[in-house]
This record gives sequence, structure tokens and C-alpha cells, in this order.
Amino acid sequence: MGDIDLDVLKEELLQCRRCGLCRNAVYEAKGFDGVCPVWKNTNGFETGFMRGKIMVALALLDGILEKTQENAEALYTCTLCGNCTQICPAAFKPSKAIEQVRDVLNEIPNEVRDSIAEKIDAHDNPYLDGKSRKRDWTEALSFSVPTIADTLYFAGCTAGMKLPEVATDSARVLNAAGVVFAVMEEEPCCGSVMLRTGKRENARANAQRVVDAIVKTGAKRVVVSCAGCLRTLKDDYAQFGLKLPEVVHIVEFAADLIKDGRLKPKRVQTPMKVTYHDPCHLGREMGVYDSPREVLKSIPDIELVEMETNRATAMCCGAGGGLKSYSPEAAKRIAADRIRSAEKIGASYIVTSCPFCELNLEAGSSAIASRVDVVDVVNLLAQSLQ
Amino acid sequence: MCTLDAGVVRQLARIVGDENISTRKDVLLTYSASASTGYDSSMPEAVVRPATTEEVSKILKIANKHRIIVTPRSGGSSLQGEVIPRSGGLVVELMRMNQISLYQDLRSVTVGAGVTFGMLDKFLNPFDLWVPVYPESSLVCTVAGNVAVNGAGPGSSAYGCIAEMVLGVEVVLPTGEVIQTGTEANPKAPGPFLRYAFGPDMTGLFIGSLGSLGVITKVSLKTFKRIRNFDYNTYGFETAEQAEQFLLKLRENDVHTLFASIYEGRILQFFMDMLGEEYGIPKHDWPPFTVSATIGRVRQDQLASDAKLAREICEALGGHVIDIAELPVGEWDDRMRTFARSSYAHGWHWRILYHHQTPTNWHKSVEEIWAVMDKYRLLGHTAGFLTDHASYNFYPHLYFDPADKPEEERVRAAHEELSQRLFQTGAVPFKLAPYWVNGVPEMETYLALVARMKKTLDPNGIMNPGVLGGI
Repeated sequence: MGDIDLDVLKEELLQCRRCGLCRNAVYEAKGFDGVCPVWKNTNGFETGFMRGKIMVALALLDGILEKTQENAEALYTCTLCGNCTQICPAAFKPSKAIEQVRDVLNEIPNEVRDSIAEKIDAHDNPYLDGKSRKRDWTEALSFSVPTIADTLYFAGCTAGMKLPEVATDSARVLNAAGVVFAVMEEEPCCGSVMLRTGKRENARANAQRVVDAIVKTGAKRVVVSCAGCLRTLKDDYAQFGLKLPEVVHIVEFAADLIKDGRLKPKRVQTPMKVTYHDPCHLGREMGVYDSPREVLKSIPDIELVEMETNRATAMCCGAGGGLKSYSPEAAKRIAADRIRSAEKIGASYIVTSCPFCELNLEAGSSAIASRVDVVDVVNLLAQSLQ
Repeated sequence: MCTLDAGVVRQLARIVGDENISTRKDVLLTYSASASTGYDSSMPEAVVRPATTEEVSKILKIANKHRIIVTPRSGGSSLQGEVIPRSGGLVVELMRMNQISLYQDLRSVTVGAGVTFGMLDKFLNPFDLWVPVYPESSLVCTVAGNVAVNGAGPGSSAYGCIAEMVLGVEVVLPTGEVIQTGTEANPKAPGPFLRYAFGPDMTGLFIGSLGSLGVITKVSLKTFKRIRNFDYNTYGFETAEQAEQFLLKLRENDVHTLFASIYEGRILQFFMDMLGEEYGIPKHDWPPFTVSATIGRVRQDQLASDAKLAREICEALGGHVIDIAELPVGEWDDRMRTFARSSYAHGWHWRILYHHQTPTNWHKSVEEIWAVMDKYRLLGHTAGFLTDHASYNFYPHLYFDPADKPEEERVRAAHEELSQRLFQTGAVPFKLAPYWVNGVPEMETYLALVARMKKTLDPNGIMNPGVLGGI
């Protein structure tokens, strides 16, 4: 990832002709039932969706708007979900452009953004003001996990610290397939949130540390549970010019293990009607749509039904792009909206493959007292392997 | 005129709630412009987002009392500066008004001012119904906004402009009174079923009024059984006259052509370079003039008959059937965003000059457009499509680089000159933008009438002044 050229960035932003497709296009033939989750679930002013955000970005860059926290709010009330990029006819990626604008304008005060970056720099995680213990979850396993192996399981901060069941069930899946895997003694943070919130230089330095730590393990393959980790390690690090061993998401890896006959899912306790929520980083950014669905379909007695928006036009869960930290209430409302989509099709479970999505969807489900449970693909897979 | 002060803002906030009004600079900036690139932006003083007709009425009463200029706005997709506010004015944004009511027995539907064509189409599809006119910004523009400009699009070649679909409107007048036109003017009527109720066409007064006579808060429209049988084809001609006559004969013979366009060779090549591959259009040595047409019928037997007749008409005029379907398929299937798609693919920022010509005068518009583009050294295109009884809707674009101010100035000058030249060919605008009539003596009496109507309905001149013929 080279330095951002301001002239090029402005030319990209001027690609927007303000047509407004990025607001709430309902285009049944192409799978869109709305576009911007923030516009839909916040106050509804033009600053809520990409057309307005680009106008604000240009005005801030050109000095038409004063560079204040309030004036920059529109830049941060965006999940960078990329659904607008999906429908935008212009020759640029709006969500990527906004990510770059955040970086260029990162002198504008933003306590939330800065405190996250400081925690990652100091403590290798975005959650705690203290050293992270991202290996503690291994203690719940009935088998031991080494720190060196050809396959490295990189749990990520959210699974490692907030949703250990995702990490333990990932480990059980790998173990059931006979994959010997390691977990680092002190797993670093991939730095995804630094990149998304405009702290690119911190992210670059962090990335080098992560790469050094992973390379030191000698692993030939890195398996991740988090969609954000996948994109960052695989895509963003490559743009920094950093090299890692092969990086795969656990659902991609599990789908292959099932195809190879190394995993044989059995009936779950009770039949389930489930729907799959595509994480933005995994789907729109990395193009992984089939693997999680293949895993779910391989489990007997699980009926997979699709929500109205899915795959490339799936509405976001609301957590991404720093929104969950910057505006937790907005993130929760977006998640609740996604939960309602699952309710609408009669699903009992909304299944995803990103712990950060899961965390936010759970908050959304609780907010509306929904009967829809939120789980990770690996939770169901591990259950079917018992 | 007065500007909004804090006291008025507080009054407005009491109507819509604090969360639905904003005076923040960043928010106002985003309402200072629209999809109308090439027009100067202008910051309003406040933006308010009402949810009901009653709220709109209360807002307008306050605005009228304090003589505050009001700009109604919904999708913000208009292209000729219709919703760019006045400095210090109030924007009334209507996107929260998104209710839809279907009257199956009356073959009609009523939509709130925040309903887009995409939303309506999805709503009607399960009933096997549609409103068969699709502005090419259907995913963004609202039905009410389109009625306010009397737009057209795919479907209009058979059904006419959106005006032909309208059965009635609910309008909040600048004074705050709520008016219902059409059959619904009788509160005991079962719903919208006839536009021409109670004397003169009051509905028509507000169609194309560009938000200058009141705020359209609801629109009632005709619904039709959804057509699912289509014939797509391209027809080649050596002369413009043959292609023009072809369109006329299709109409005369009731060939149910939903969408038909004449492409002259160089514009077709321009289109092919940009979208040909995406639409999967095979390489072809295209003739000097190509008509791309989508014929649609409810019944297959009707379709077969129409398709056969179209071929016969083409050949009788000395043309030939090209039998390449991908061009009209691409146009029709992507009809709800063709405009955005092709415009982005073609150019940069632009000014557009919507107007209607007769099909047999198609070549006159094209000649003037090219002449002006050459004179001002501009790029652009001459696109349009058959509409209505005997009309052809042109939407030529003049392109400019937003970073090249001299080029943008040339586009503005070219735009104004082109409107005057087109007027002389007999073309007419459906948006009565000021540049069409400024200094045109033939229009003085007509404009005086428009001004009298405006004064009657809007005595304080608060509603979107200037957009309707400069009045």
C-alpha cells in the first residue's frame, strides 16, 4: 500500500456524480433491498449515506468545511461495508476512498479512533488496557495445543477475548480432522481497525510486528476465524509489501476438509432452520460466499434459507469500519435490522463466520428481544462432529 | 424574503422532532446540491424531514408566515437544478413518507412522496402488476419527484410520460392547505380511479410544476398487468428519415413498443465502446442508423403478431432486421439504472438538456446538438427514446471535467445556446427551466399565465422560486 496521493484521491471522489444509487436502491432483479445500512438505521439525512459522505469529504479536503470533529462525523458513521461500491456505476470504490480520506484527515480529533490504536500499539488488542490473554481459551480444550506447528490458528482478538467458543470450536474442528495446529503464546492484533479508522501508519508498523511474529513460528499456513483478520492479513498486508504464509479462513479450510472426507458431520440434536449472514470482509471484500454455505449444507438436519439480501448485496451487521466503537447505538440498530431480516424468513439461527459480526448481531438481537440466536459456522460444525 | 432564525427552527422542531431537523453545516452542505452537476450549489439554513402530510402542512404554514423560501426535495436525483435550495432557505425532505396503498379493484396505487420506483416495482411484482414507466434513475428518484418534473423512461414508448399514469395527487399548497385532486377529492370515493373528476385537470397543474406550486405529498397511479413476454430486436436503416418513419409506423400500427431509440452510427459506437462488452453485444458492422426496440405484450400471441409486423414495417421502409437482441435486452433489463450506468460509462460530469421532438424531426435535434458540441469543442451524446403519442424524448449530455473551470463555463454557455436553437426547431421542454424561455418573445404570454397561477397559489412566493421558467 503506497502513500495516498491526495490529487488522485480527490479525482476519485469527484468520480461521484451524486446520482444517489448508494442510498436505498431497491433493485429486486439484482438482489438489492436498500444499500446503506447507516442511512436506513440512523437519522436519514444525506450525511448518512455515501453521496453525502463524499460531499463532506471533498469539502473538508478543500477547506470548505472546517476540520472539526462534528463536521467529520459523516466520515466515521460508515461501516465501510462496501454495499455502495457494489451498486456504484462510477469507476472507483467509494468505501475505499472514505477509508483513505479518514487517513488523510486523521489530524481531526477523534478520541475513539485514537484510543483503539493506542490499545493495539500498547497491548496488542483493541479491547483492554492491559496485555491480552488470547491463548487462555485453549485451557477449555481436552487436548493440548502447541505453539509451533505447520498450521497456525490465529484466533483474533474478538474470538480470543470476547467469544472464546468460536476459538474452541475452531480448534475442535481442526482436531477432528487430524490437523496439528499451533496457537501463539502471545498472539498480536492484526490491526484491521487501525486501517479502517485512518491510522494507517500505526497499522503499517503493527503489520510488520505481526508478520515477524508469525514468520517466527515457522507456520506454512495461517487459519483465521475472523473475516477482518483474513482481509487484513491476506490483502492489506500484501499491499504493504509484506509476505505471509498462506492465509485461509476456517470456513474455507473446513469446507475443503469436508470435501476430502476428513470431516464427516453428523446429525445435530434437533433440526434447525438457519440463515447465513455474509460478513462484508469475507464476502464483498474477499469473495468467499460458497464455503460457509457448503459447510452448513453438509450438516444433516440443518435447513439453510437465505435472507432477502445475501452474498454480494447482503446488508451489513453494523459493526465494521469502527462504527461499533464510534456509534454503538447505530451499530446495534443496524444489527437489529439484520436480525429482523432473519426473523422475516423464519430462521431460528443467524449463522455467521466473523466473531465481530456475531458480537454485534447478538447485541442487535438482544435489543429487540428476538428469538433468533446468533452462532458461528464453526459452532454448528463442531456440534455435528461430537 | 426572511431567513430562518432560531425561533422558527424551534417551531419546526416541535413539528417533526429534534432528530428530524438539522442546521448543522455538514448536513446543510449535503443539501446544497443534487445530482445536477454543473450547477452552483447553495447552502440552505435548515433541513427538515416530515413524516406526514399534516407535518408538511404545518411546516409550510410557518414558512409562509415568515416568508421563508422552501425547496421540496426527495431523491435528490434531478439533473437540471430543480432542488438546489436558496441561500438561507428551508429544504423540506420527504423521504420519510414511504407508504404504499394498493387498490386492486380500481387498478391503482397510491404512494407517499418518499417512495422510489424501485420500491414500488418490488411492491407490485407479487401482484403481477406494475406501473410501466421507468425513469432511468428509478432506483433513486421518487415517484412524486418524477411527477413534479413529468419524467419518462423505458416503458414510455408505449405508455407516455409519467403524467399519463397519474390519477391524482395530494398537494400541500404554499399556504399550508391540503388539496386532493382526482376522484379522491371525494372523501367517500373508494380510491383513485379517474383523474378527470370535478372539472378541469387540477392534477395536471401540479405535474411538471417542479415543486414551485406546492409540495406533492402523495401520488395515485394506474397499475397494469405486468408484461412478461418480450421481443428484443435491432433494425438497420440507411437514412434518418427511414428510422424516424419506422418509429412513427410502430405507433400508428399499435406495435406495443415499450422502449425504442434511434442510434446514429457514431453514438452507437460510443455506446458499444463503453457498454457493449458488458451487455454482451456481438461485434457488428452497424448501419448508419439503428433502432433498438423492446416490444412487450401481456399475451404471447399478441407479441408474435407485433414482432412480425415490426419486421414487415422495417423492410417495407427499405431497412433490414439486424437480429441482434443484446442491445435492447441490456437497455430493458437494466432499465431502472440505465441512465446512471451509461452516463457514468460515457462521461464525466455533465449538463443535460431534456426536450421533446417529434419522431420525424429527430434529425433536427441531433443536428443542433452536434453543431453546438462542435462549436464549443465539447464531448457529449445525443441519446433519447420514443415517448407518448408522437414524441421523442431527447436527453443530450454535454460533458466537462469538474476540475476544468473554463470547460465547465463552455458547457454552461453551450447548454443555453442549445436550448435556444432547439426551440427554433420546434422542440419543447417538459421541464420549464428558465433557459428555455429567457428572452423568448413567443413565450411571453404563456409565461405571464404561469406567473399569475403561481401568484395565486403562492402569494408570498416562497415555493422553490425561479425554477419554473424563472418565476
